[in-house]
Amino acid sequence: MTECDRRSFMMQTGAGVAALTLMPEFATAAPQSEGSALPVAVIGVGRQGRAILGELQKMDAVQVAAICDIDERRRLSGQRRAGGAEVFPDHRAMLDKRKDIRTVFIATPTHLHRDVAVDAIQAGCNVYCEAPLASTIEDCRAIASAARSAVGIVQAGLQGRSNPIYKLARTFYRSDAVRHLVSLSAQYHKKQSWRTPSSDPAREKMLNWRLDPALSLGLAGEFGTHQFDVANWYLGQLPTTFRGSGSIRLFDDGREIADTVHCDIAYNDGVHFQYNATLGNSFEGRHEVFYGTNSAIKLAWTHGWMFKEADAPTQGWEVYANRQQFHNDEGITLIADATKLAAQGRLKEGVGLPNPPLYYSIADFLTSIIDQQPVVCSVEQGLRATVIGILANQAIVTGQTVTADEDMFKGT
Amino acid sequence: MNVRLATEAMGTRFEVVLTGDDPPRLRTVGEAAIEEIEDWHRRLSLFEPGSLLSYLNRHAADRPVKLDDDTFELLVECIEVHAASQGAFDITVAPIMRAWGFHKITGAADSPSSTGEDTPTAAPVGSEFIQLDVDRRTIRFLKPGMAIDLGGLGKGHALDAAAAVLRENGVECGLLHGGTSTVVALGSPPDEDGWRVALKQEGPSPVVTLRDAALSVSAPHGRTIHMDGERLGHIIDPNRGSPARGTQLAAVVGPTARQADAWSTALLVLGHRPPGLEAGLTTLIAGDERADPRWKVEGPECGIFSIPDCLEEATETTP
Repeated sequence: MTECDRRSFMMQTGAGVAALTLMPEFATAAPQSEGSALPVAVIGVGRQGRAILGELQKMDAVQVAAICDIDERRRLSGQRRAGGAEVFPDHRAMLDKRKDIRTVFIATPTHLHRDVAVDAIQAGCNVYCEAPLASTIEDCRAIASAARSAVGIVQAGLQGRSNPIYKLARTFYRSDAVRHLVSLSAQYHKKQSWRTPSSDPAREKMLNWRLDPALSLGLAGEFGTHQFDVANWYLGQLPTTFRGSGSIRLFDDGREIADTVHCDIAYNDGVHFQYNATLGNSFEGRHEVFYGTNSAIKLAWTHGWMFKEADAPTQGWEVYANRQQFHNDEGITLIADATKLAAQGRLKEGVGLPNPPLYYSIADFLTSIIDQQPVVCSVEQGLRATVIGILANQAIVTGQTVTADEDMFKGT
Repeated sequence: MNVRLATEAMGTRFEVVLTGDDPPRLRTVGEAAIEEIEDWHRRLSLFEPGSLLSYLNRHAADRPVKLDDDTFELLVECIEVHAASQGAFDITVAPIMRAWGFHKITGAADSPSSTGEDTPTAAPVGSEFIQLDVDRRTIRFLKPGMAIDLGGLGKGHALDAAAAVLRENGVECGLLHGGTSTVVALGSPPDEDGWRVALKQEGPSPVVTLRDAALSVSAPHGRTIHMDGERLGHIIDPNRGSPARGTQLAAVVGPTARQADAWSTALLVLGHRPPGLEAGLTTLIAGDERADPRWKVEGPECGIFSIPDCLEEATETTP
């Protein structure tokens, strides 16, 4: 890619230095020259793969050159999302044939990540691998091992680290605004069966791998991993013990995977992380809360707030802060670029992310490729969050206390 | 047995009611249909800055914007209805809608005098200034300042997509609606010829029976503005650059909901059936004596689903 193309690419993907503002994208540059777009492939075009295609569609500097899925119906629907893309039922065939594609997004079921990721890394590709990284610690390590000798870059698809609101909130967390952490909590609430329909029983079994206890990491692993990574990133430490429970509260349809789970995750310094997830209720969706002696920070992926204690010192920027009332509490809305927007009288326009969190994660990945910079979320970081998800699920499934030792979090 | 699911999307409430003897499976399939509606909301919303529609509105005047097959084909159909309806249906009315104050996300619409924006008639409007490249699947605006608003058929498109998911998965009986103004009927309830839908209004109500068909009703209700003592509805007459006046209701039954949606909007603007009206559509225009005989004028109680009532009533009387 030429320097001119690179500049255009950076501007169009919103991947420049200024791209982590809340503007939807920086696409006002001159059009990309014909044929110079970065060819990429998406491997696995189920729900998450289609979401990736949707975000790539808004990045003119990227061309989806191939899609890959073992399921024919998904290949067909993926092809309609990515016009002109070559379609493959097998990722190895794609890697062998399309040597021009050196950037791949992996969105297969979790238990299939290992083979695809290792093959793609060894083929010299830049790899974006969805999280959780894998369904076993052994598989995570295999990916980490391959990544250590990779020619390209490898990013774990944990979206919190690319989220502009989460980045801003972390600067507050690291300052005196929160002060001493007393506890944290997180939840994933969404009323849905977690089943995918199909009129073909064999296909239905394949599509519903998340309900197979032999393959699935349950709610804590499949959803919680993203939230555990936020805790890892903010706290800078890893948990030591896990206690959990799970039950079927709504979907008593023969499944063995709990539709409602609770987990208490403890750290060495006495802090506890309460995690709960359910498929039976949607109230307050997905969020994390860090409770500090000066304030609490609530992060809900597209929005974030700070709730100050009455005795916490007042900061200068609070004068122009946007606020929202939650029953008896007033939350200060966390807005990236707040100072600039306030000066323009447009502060309210900055409330909430204009793009889905996935967009920023993909943009960061592409930035790292172009700039040859370290990725925002490494495989090792992905491994650590995934191991927490695996151990939390283990505690929930067994009802036993699970203890983590440091070696579990190592990539070797 | 009925299974009901709902979601908020495209500024309204969508509901899916499925009838069958395997409720767990119906729920699973219904969830997939709801996901399809939510997906199209994310792609076509004018008010979500991260949507594909917002993206193309920002950039299509500067360069061709690539589209997926489904979105491209949707836009092709919009252009076709535009031509056939003598310009009465036009997705480029977004600047006019904005200028008249109909694009306020919350609360009542402003009157145009308080928007502080361009005067309605100065807005760059006209589907003839949309360039669709069939080979490259791209869209380009030929005038700066243009913007697309798919409010005229977005709900119908989402419902069609949801209905396709239901059919793919073997669901043969169900009723879907978006905001009670666009309805898709799959099959018919047990022991019925179809889903009877009444257009509730003062006096006798027209009732139509739907079976594997879609219905859309357009009326100048909902979001309105007041100007010079006149209450003006949110449906824009593209040729005049102002809210459509005169016709109080237009309803269309057709094979797809997006077709019915687009044409009910066009007929409300026109107040009559144009020569280019597509074959296979059953229409009803308030005040028009030539109502299609498929509409039976009965009381609203004859319909198992009354528009604009909510679906609650309908399912109570469904076997």
